[in-house]
Amino acid sequence: MLASFPWRRDATGRATETVGMAAQATLERLGDTPSSADYLRALWGRRQFAIAIAVGEVRSQHMNTALGNVWLVLNPLLQMGVYYLVFGVIIGTDRGVDNFLAFLAVGVFLFHYTQRSIMAGAKSLLKNQGLIRSIQFPRAVLPLATVLAHGLSFLPAAAVMIGIALATGESLHWTWLLLVALFAVQTVFNIGMAFITARMTDRFPDMQNVLPFVFRLLFYMSGVLFLATRYVSAETLVWFQLNPVYAMISTGRGIILEGTLNGVLWLSAGGWAIFALVTGFFVFRAGERDYGRG
Amino acid sequence: MADTRQVVADQQPALDPALTLVAQDAHVTYRVYEDRRAGLRELVSSRGKLRAARAIRAVKGVSFEARAGEVIGVIGANGSGKSTLLQAMAGLLPCTDGAVYARSQPVILGVGAALQPLLSGRRNVELGLLALGASQEQVEEQFDEVVEFSGLEGSIDLPMRTYSSGMKARLHFAIATSIQPDILLIDEALAVGDADFRERSEERIRTLQAHAGTVFIVSHRLSEIQRTCTRVLWLCAGELAADGTPDEVLAQYREWVGRPRNRPPRQQRQQRRRWRRRRQRHRERRLARRQQRRLRRQAGR
Repeated sequence: MLASFPWRRDATGRATETVGMAAQATLERLGDTPSSADYLRALWGRRQFAIAIAVGEVRSQHMNTALGNVWLVLNPLLQMGVYYLVFGVIIGTDRGVDNFLAFLAVGVFLFHYTQRSIMAGAKSLLKNQGLIRSIQFPRAVLPLATVLAHGLSFLPAAAVMIGIALATGESLHWTWLLLVALFAVQTVFNIGMAFITARMTDRFPDMQNVLPFVFRLLFYMSGVLFLATRYVSAETLVWFQLNPVYAMISTGRGIILEGTLNGVLWLSAGGWAIFALVTGFFVFRAGERDYGRG
Repeated sequence: MADTRQVVADQQPALDPALTLVAQDAHVTYRVYEDRRAGLRELVSSRGKLRAARAIRAVKGVSFEARAGEVIGVIGANGSGKSTLLQAMAGLLPCTDGAVYARSQPVILGVGAALQPLLSGRRNVELGLLALGASQEQVEEQFDEVVEFSGLEGSIDLPMRTYSSGMKARLHFAIATSIQPDILLIDEALAVGDADFRERSEERIRTLQAHAGTVFIVSHRLSEIQRTCTRVLWLCAGELAADGTPDEVLAQYREWVGRPRNRPPRQQRQQRRRWRRRRQRHRERRLARRQQRRLRRQAGR
């Protein structure tokens, strides 16, 4: 990676003389993937770019609708309504749960945060092929910004989620502060997975057709709509607990519905998040050379 | 691993302090899926496999050395690999074989892909500058200058999708040229907009050229190349057909463009000549008749 960018300007706005114009005689090979440390440094240097993309995406998401960003709140509310009608009222998967509405809210919103982040992150390289082909920057900015955008639009949904919990009789407790930590863990997990799926999708665009089914399976395997400990046998439950999304949803439910903390689930969620981020970073960096060629 | 690195080190170009960019036997290959309509016979012989992946070799072994102070024009027919070569020189499409070396990160002049049509011009200026590698402080510093140059002060808060194509082009140009790279790559059609803006933008390009180490210009306007460049590369089907002074290379290129292959076959030429003569004959007769009529009318009066 070339360390210095040559377009720094002095205070008057005139171009300063080109960096190292006469003195520097070392040529660097272009298109090589930088070392991990340099890559991280370059990524950090582009943090404001990533934030600008994320904010821009959130702002333009509902630009063409009459209600605008009210949809960020309305959308999860309507979703809740549908799930509650079908699974709470009609089918009745609320066995073993006192406050099914809040139970459902936590499950549905946390799941959708992860699902949307990873699905959009997976497409981020394909979607921004033009950008990749015109400007040099660490490509990890793209999945990162996509997850950040979904993190930002998750916040209103999180407010709705907490509102539902309070409205249905849960009371505030200091452990609710841990929801912030949970949000951080989940975001880290989403970023890591977005890195991995982005590389796979860039290489095999067919992944876009596979991912929805992966998430459909994950949806049922994470107990979004039912209490897994009630419906699933003890041997199968182990598989649920190893599932990072289940761990995160159950942790959230523990905090909001019971005010309890389950160490095993925290460990599972945190472990998966760190594992996903580290693996994702290296997997993504290794493919840096080939992005945008499709 | 150690071995390959050794080989790379050996191939490193000699260190001439004025060298800015060196291409060594650069190859760029794309992989795309074909979408062809196959006949029944082909369908059977390929066992129903229609979507064959095909490798497109856009750049095939290009080598050159660029020095500080040079303005290098790149010419060639459509699809001869000019833009791909430019992208390889910017490190955007890494070479599949061979390599490009540079003393600093080359920058393609263009920022359109970073902008979002739904957002306001203001946010897009910020986004574009950040995309080009500016920091938040630099964005604030340069914001007014960019807007002023684009001449869009009045509509900077409107969404960019409401801009006319000329306004869009002006904003793109103003953002893209607000940075000063050492190695500058320009891909065609930059002088845009009305006469006033065109004049100012050409002026701005000249300033960029004056400050940059080396400038590459891809263009189809040969007169522009002749006027601005100190050296011309001619690409033909992905290979370097010529590399030299503008006079030499442009003369060769013009000759090649007007080459006999572009002449219609003999039969067609004869046919066209016959038609032309016949048209001429008809026209002459028509004129003669009109003249006679006029004379008769005058005589009758």
